[in-house]
Amino acid sequence: MITGMDRLIAAVNGEKSDRIPVFCNMFDQGAKELGMSLKEYYSKGEYVAEGQLKMREKYGYDNLWSLFYVGKEVELMGCGNIIYSDYGPPNVGQMVIRKPEDIHKLEIPDDILSHPKFEESLKCLRILKKESDGKYPICAYITSSMTLPAMLMGMSKWMELLLMGPEELRDELLAKCNDFFIKEVAAYRKEGADVLFYANFFGSTDAVPMKYFMDQSLPWIEKDISSIGTKDIVYFCAQARFNNVLDILLKRTGIRSYYLSPLDDVAEGKRIIAGRGLICGSINDIKLIDWSKEEIRNEVKRIIDAGMPGGKFLFTTAVMPLAIPEENIKIMLEAAYEFGSYEK
Amino acid sequence: MIAQVKEAYNQAIFDTDKNAALKVVYEALQQGLTPEEIVFEVIVPSIEFMSTSISQDFGANLAQHFMTAQIAAQATEELISKFKSPPKIIGRMVIGTSHGDFHGLGKKIVIGCLKANMIEAVDLGLNVTPEKFVNETIAHEAQVIGISSMMMHTANGKNGCIRVREILKERGLENKIKIIVGGAPYKYNHELYKIVHADAWAENGIEAGKIVTKLISEVRS
Repeated sequence: MITGMDRLIAAVNGEKSDRIPVFCNMFDQGAKELGMSLKEYYSKGEYVAEGQLKMREKYGYDNLWSLFYVGKEVELMGCGNIIYSDYGPPNVGQMVIRKPEDIHKLEIPDDILSHPKFEESLKCLRILKKESDGKYPICAYITSSMTLPAMLMGMSKWMELLLMGPEELRDELLAKCNDFFIKEVAAYRKEGADVLFYANFFGSTDAVPMKYFMDQSLPWIEKDISSIGTKDIVYFCAQARFNNVLDILLKRTGIRSYYLSPLDDVAEGKRIIAGRGLICGSINDIKLIDWSKEEIRNEVKRIIDAGMPGGKFLFTTAVMPLAIPEENIKIMLEAAYEFGSYEK
Repeated sequence: MIAQVKEAYNQAIFDTDKNAALKVVYEALQQGLTPEEIVFEVIVPSIEFMSTSISQDFGANLAQHFMTAQIAAQATEELISKFKSPPKIIGRMVIGTSHGDFHGLGKKIVIGCLKANMIEAVDLGLNVTPEKFVNETIAHEAQVIGISSMMMHTANGKNGCIRVREILKERGLENKIKIIVGGAPYKYNHELYKIVHADAWAENGIEAGKIVTKLISEVRS
């Protein structure tokens, strides 16, 4: 039987499997599968692992996620308040950095794996590793040095510090976040995560002007990536576009997998990368809530038609809001399996 | 002289250089331009200039919007205190993030742009209930409610814009109060504002300034 891992490896190597790999990024839906609230679901690594395994089994896509919710990272850095909702992902309810002195005081844990706040994530990772048995790639979400401060102090205050300084304070925080980043990557790798999503909103020119990207974002991306290597890294800008810096990124960092925004032009991304790496083309899953069957199939076909020629292509979603009807998820995935097949 | 001031200010804004922009403003004052001339002939047109420049470049980016709003708001606030007579405020909007949403950046950008457009903004903060949106709008005699949402479930959820619309309907206020929405989910579905029963949406703060001006004039006509 061909597995998700087989499909991913074939795509990365530019070879054909039975079909292109299809990743589906569902998180909160796991609670629904287990019939519990999101707060209860995210309280135990066992629940999240079971939710992930059940959903993959039910829908047949190719990946598993070890991520609970994005704010989990700042819990490791001192955030003690996460606000849950019944309708969507939890929010960070307390900023770790509220005043400049908090940056000096910020402590990066030495050992992520033994940190009490990582205990449930670790349980989840270990269950996924055991149960998937190498058949389905386990994804982990790692926030870049330049984006992590937005969760530590709020986007608005971080943008002020990032764009207006003081530079020493900004750089002190970036250096601490880089330290955390490196340790977090090591922890996930040690426990068997297969694909690391390098999440960097500031690595997109939707976030910053090109000059700023070249002068500030890119050097920090290089610093992050040169510390950890590129073999399992997927560049991801939190759904912001980055086709216009894709070539620079590839040349300067050596990253070989790029997760385009639903708003990026997949064909253009493929043209730019020109066989040098994998392109992940994502559907605009906010529209999946309201699209008709025909609209969903047309959109999946459009993306796959643009990305599949020449191989090295993966079809995927963004972060799948909870409001997407189950029927629409099935329609999207069945269309991806059909249009992404090499056996037609 | 005003043309040179305008050019220097626009360049500073485009470079996201707050200190340079404020320096232009202070120097212009020393050279004899009135605070009114600087606000209405330099700062307000610069927002339009940014809108055009950004759209002709590579698309809007958040840093430029953020800085445009921050600089315009600070400069306008400082200059208004120096006006000979208080400026004519064209209207008022209450703004906050929808219930369950704790992302305040978009709101901050919009407030900055509104100030420069002579629209008073009442900031209700984060995680605002539908009832509070409506009650505060009435209390402040505002014409527009601005609801910012970063997440899909706070944009289309039952405690967001949809409920605000229901309350306006229940209280017979739909002709007196308009709703504008904004935030990430609306960028990915340009029809979403209709689904949540808003009157309009804005992709960024610069657009918000223009659309809110239009909504205020609709209410007042």
